[in-house]
Amino acid sequence: MNDTHRQVLQGLDSAVALVGAEDWSVLFENAKFFRWFPGTGGDDELLTTRMPDFRAERAQSRLEAGRPFKFELKVTVEGREDHLRVTLEKFDGASEPAYLLQATSIRKEMETQYMLDSYSKMAEKNARELEREKDRVERLLLNIMPRAVFEEMREFGTATPQRFDSTSILMLDFVGFTDMAIAADPSAIIAELNDIFSSFDRITEMFDCERVRTIGDAYMAVSGLLDESPDHAANIARLALRFRRYLERRNQAHPQQWTARIGFNTGSVIGSLVGVQKYVYDLFGPGVNLAARMESMSEPMKITVNEETYQLLKNEFVFTERGPHEIKGFGTQNLYFLEGELARR
Amino acid sequence: MTDSIFSRYGGFAAISRIVSDFYDRVLDSDQLAPYFAHTDMATQIDHQTKFFASMMGGPASYSDEHLESVHARLHITDDAFGELTLILQETLEDHEFDDTDVGTVVGEVTRRKRVIVEH
Repeated sequence: MNDTHRQVLQGLDSAVALVGAEDWSVLFENAKFFRWFPGTGGDDELLTTRMPDFRAERAQSRLEAGRPFKFELKVTVEGREDHLRVTLEKFDGASEPAYLLQATSIRKEMETQYMLDSYSKMAEKNARELEREKDRVERLLLNIMPRAVFEEMREFGTATPQRFDSTSILMLDFVGFTDMAIAADPSAIIAELNDIFSSFDRITEMFDCERVRTIGDAYMAVSGLLDESPDHAANIARLALRFRRYLERRNQAHPQQWTARIGFNTGSVIGSLVGVQKYVYDLFGPGVNLAARMESMSEPMKITVNEETYQLLKNEFVFTERGPHEIKGFGTQNLYFLEGELARR
Repeated sequence: MTDSIFSRYGGFAAISRIVSDFYDRVLDSDQLAPYFAHTDMATQIDHQTKFFASMMGGPASYSDEHLESVHARLHITDDAFGELTLILQETLEDHEFDDTDVGTVVGEVTRRKRVIVEH
């Protein structure tokens, strides 16, 4: 090696060294190598001493197989930490078996990695928040419309009105609610109503029915809207019975008495979103009107149905006959009180 | 559930550096370099980072059909595939993956040999 070569090597910004293959002795080193791996400054220090983290065994088996060995490590020079990538490979140009060692700083790469890391964490966090928000909106919307309608709207931006032929609609209304609200502490009454309706929501879900909406102190539920279950009438009958039983048990434990009229009806309805900015999902049609009539013609803590619904359910449930009644818009119909369910075999 | 290999070894940025090192070694290999003669390595490393991330249980996923279609015109031989998995193993070892994890990742690649190698 002449002086020019030596000067070039000494001036390199990378570390270069020639290491004896027999014992890891350092046969040659440039200035950068000494700067990064000074050891203790003693003579003839081996590579394994100069570079304490060096995994000699693994390096040896790799190099003896004729494959390069690379690794990364940290060094501290004058209090500043630097990341290095070190490569060792077989070197044939020396008078004895030797390996050529090169090390370069990857500090810039590490900085980029850090930046990439923090950026991707930020992006992941934003994505998670967005996902959470989406879930929240979805839950809110699912409260006011059936899932099928929600999905149609998400897909197409609007939902077309849909006819459901086999549904049962339940209406419940509290007797004397207005007087109750005025007589007692109104906010306490509303809190209780909220409590009752929340329980109704859970019961409704339990019986595979759906709450359509509440209007003031009235509660409207439907069965057969989501899946065309042949049991929609029986489901709504069980729902009505369970609502009544819930109120009876609640009244036993509370000073404030809640008395409801319940009616339900089986028939076809049209379901549709109404409104543009403030939309609600609502049901329309004679089936709904008749359910409302059944409720208004019912009596405190009674459940009223008409002849048609009675015929559907008479084998599974217990009824008492109320006789013919004039129903506004529907002529004269035989009405029944639903009393309970026959024991299921 | 234990953390995925992906997150245990430092996530996307760390994996991308390992992949980058892996391709340095691949391009140093006389046997493998010709396969990448006309490849834009920046895009390649980006793809591969996502691919390796998916093999290590991180985000992104690649179907076997996709792998097959991108490798079909490369006519990759058994030997080249062997060299590549050896370099991969060495790279992971040098980045201090423990033996089980090296085995898992190399196994994931080997499992896809059928769709990568010419047959």
